[in-house]
Amino acid sequence: MDGPLFKQALLGSLSWLAANHEEVNRLNVFPVPDGDTGTNMLLTLQSAVEDIKESNAAEVSKIAKLASHGSLMGARGNSGVILSQIFRGFARAVEGKSSLTPRELAAAFEEAANAAYRAVNKPTEGTILTVAREAGRAATAAAASPEASVPSVIAAAAAGARDAVLKTPSQLQILRDAGVVDAGGFGLQIILEGMLKSVEESAFAVSTHPAARSQPSQVALDLPEGGWGYCTEFLIEGSALDVEIIRDQIEALGNSVLVVGEPELVKVHVHTDDPTRVITLAGGYGKVLKLNVGDMSTQHKRILESEAASGRPTRPNGVGLVSVVAGKGLVEIFRGLGVDAIVEGGQTMNPSTQDMLVAIESVPYQEVVLLPNNRNVILAAKQVTGLTEKKVHIVETRSVPEGVAAVVAFRPERSGAENVAAMKDEAERVQTIEVTHAVRDTRSNGLKVKKGDVIGLINEKLEFAGTDYAEVVNKALGKLGPDSYELVTVYRGEDASEDELASLQSAIQSSFPGLEVEVQQGGQQHYPFILSVE
Amino acid sequence: MPLKRRFAVVTDSTADLPDEWRDRYGIEVVPLKVLFGAETFRDRVDMTDVEFFRRLASATKLPTTSAPSPGEFAEVYQRLAKDYESCISIHIGAQLSATAEAARVGAQSVDGLTVNVIDSETVTMPMAFLCRTAAECESLEEATAAVTERVPKCRVLALLDTLRYIEMGGRVSRAQAMIGTMLDLKPLLLVADREIKPVDRVRTRARAIPRMVEHFRGDLPVEHVAVVHAQAPDEAAQIAAGLRKELPDYEITIGEIGCVLGTHTGPKALGLVYVKK
Repeated sequence: MDGPLFKQALLGSLSWLAANHEEVNRLNVFPVPDGDTGTNMLLTLQSAVEDIKESNAAEVSKIAKLASHGSLMGARGNSGVILSQIFRGFARAVEGKSSLTPRELAAAFEEAANAAYRAVNKPTEGTILTVAREAGRAATAAAASPEASVPSVIAAAAAGARDAVLKTPSQLQILRDAGVVDAGGFGLQIILEGMLKSVEESAFAVSTHPAARSQPSQVALDLPEGGWGYCTEFLIEGSALDVEIIRDQIEALGNSVLVVGEPELVKVHVHTDDPTRVITLAGGYGKVLKLNVGDMSTQHKRILESEAASGRPTRPNGVGLVSVVAGKGLVEIFRGLGVDAIVEGGQTMNPSTQDMLVAIESVPYQEVVLLPNNRNVILAAKQVTGLTEKKVHIVETRSVPEGVAAVVAFRPERSGAENVAAMKDEAERVQTIEVTHAVRDTRSNGLKVKKGDVIGLINEKLEFAGTDYAEVVNKALGKLGPDSYELVTVYRGEDASEDELASLQSAIQSSFPGLEVEVQQGGQQHYPFILSVE
Repeated sequence: MPLKRRFAVVTDSTADLPDEWRDRYGIEVVPLKVLFGAETFRDRVDMTDVEFFRRLASATKLPTTSAPSPGEFAEVYQRLAKDYESCISIHIGAQLSATAEAARVGAQSVDGLTVNVIDSETVTMPMAFLCRTAAECESLEEATAAVTERVPKCRVLALLDTLRYIEMGGRVSRAQAMIGTMLDLKPLLLVADREIKPVDRVRTRARAIPRMVEHFRGDLPVEHVAVVHAQAPDEAAQIAAGLRKELPDYEITIGEIGCVLGTHTGPKALGLVYVKK
């Protein structure tokens, strides 16, 4: 397998995952609107392939390196981060090689899985890790055969992955309860199948998961690409257009530049922060047609904001604060507490490592504390530390209340390390209750839940289900033991009405008169109420 | 009480000087003023603290405060000139109020009395400690030296129940205190070095109090310490009781925050005030 073939394989895996990622999303175990595994893996893979599209490298090592770097920058969610580590392991295994024998390819698959295991603190069997390992083992077994070929090794890896995916419910109770296979593992299976399809458009029958597959489509081409700024695409119609000169000029204005065509018609694609300049420039050459400017930051619902330029006094400790959070009110709360840059994201849209990196680079401090504020963002956040020269501390806040508690504990005259210790303490002290609706029927933590039920999670664990918010919240508060707490802060989400808020508030006050209740407009999606109990 | 000193001790009402100290040491207190609209009240003269905080709670428009006029100081000094050759006049920090400046101007119009005006750089009971220190001295020179030496060592740790009042009074901004507009945070402020510095911000009062005591411990040893409060006597008593256990050799007085300072702290403010060694 050489560079071009590997490139083809990766492009194939991207379009196959693009066609099937919704199916991966549907496998989410938790009946909460969670960071979608399929979308996260797709966006990560897109970022991995981003630079490869434009590379003509002959060596497999160069393509693997691009994929490793790209996936690391674009890694979103836990499965995305693990996927990036798989690419990283693969790239290390093939370092210096221009092409791979079937045996070397199998070894690279195995090494990729090992790298993924090493990247995770407590590897859990029955997840994407197991699937990666089994794919590697199956590949190695196939490579031992005298008739082994690159397609046969990939076919074996894909088959190994499929078998492993089907076994995941027997390894993980939560999967068994929910009646699904592991989503991340299934995503990896699809990636391997996509590789196989593209290296050998043969009679190999691509497996189908019991759930119906959606029709393959051109989704990948329509999705916003990784990065930020504006994805700007258009055609220039003119005469005697010089593609080289246009490319040189466009390259000065952005990245991911693609300028192709003929003297009469040139296609331009660029990611830029200043589309107007690009279009003005193009207009000088001819007629601009089919203009399409996409604001990638809003497409990704991740508007990056930095107050670096707003003339805040610089902090004596030289430590900046970056926080991941979504919801208008919550963004304002975090900003008001002194957070320098907000990475918009969280539960439904996990920000990428790159998004967080950009925010960290945007603050005028060499030392930065990053608050993920969501369990599914923590792993991607941790990847940032190796990518910047700044000293980055991650306080592993798993929820909005933990994030608020951590930020409140930040003191501008205290050193970074002291702040981190205090912020961790405070984050651990606060209890989180999240209230939402089940997105489907399930059984979890011994609870039978019907689609649409109000469900209450205490510290991310599903504890109560019921029919109304007040009932579920009061049960959750009762379980926490209200005598040990004095203050409940209610963050009202986008979907909760004033009436629902008022009745929740009075229900808490009448059941627990000793608790002070403070209400904030959080504006978060999907969670009508998030409560902080301290 | 027979006069033992040849110099008088003057302060202003923001010293929150306990009545008992005032009487024992013969300290003269000049009141600042609180203005509810067009109505003016002299701090602790025309209005009791209880009345004031009741009125503050129900006021639609917050009161303002003002320093005594130079003329009012001149009157006081004129009166003292009959019995004394000199006086030390210890006042609220010039970063907080124009009182010390008014005293200085007022003193210039009085003949026959040497007035040493001291900008205490602080507020509430550290000023009372300075007055007591001065009153225990033999001469104006000795008193001035003793007080001047202690001015940079005065500290006020203030736990406010809300930033609303001090913000309205323009003494501290939310940005300075690192307190956003949304969450109800309890700011812990430190008055020291001619500044009001945010020391901490805590989500709940029950946790803020031990935090305040912890910050105080970091400043030990101290010469004097007191607990002050604005309509929060029970919590003040608890803090004082805790400190007495920890520091059995100290007399720990509980002082009440008066109307003028109370206009800026708001009700339920608590303070740990001390003079560092």
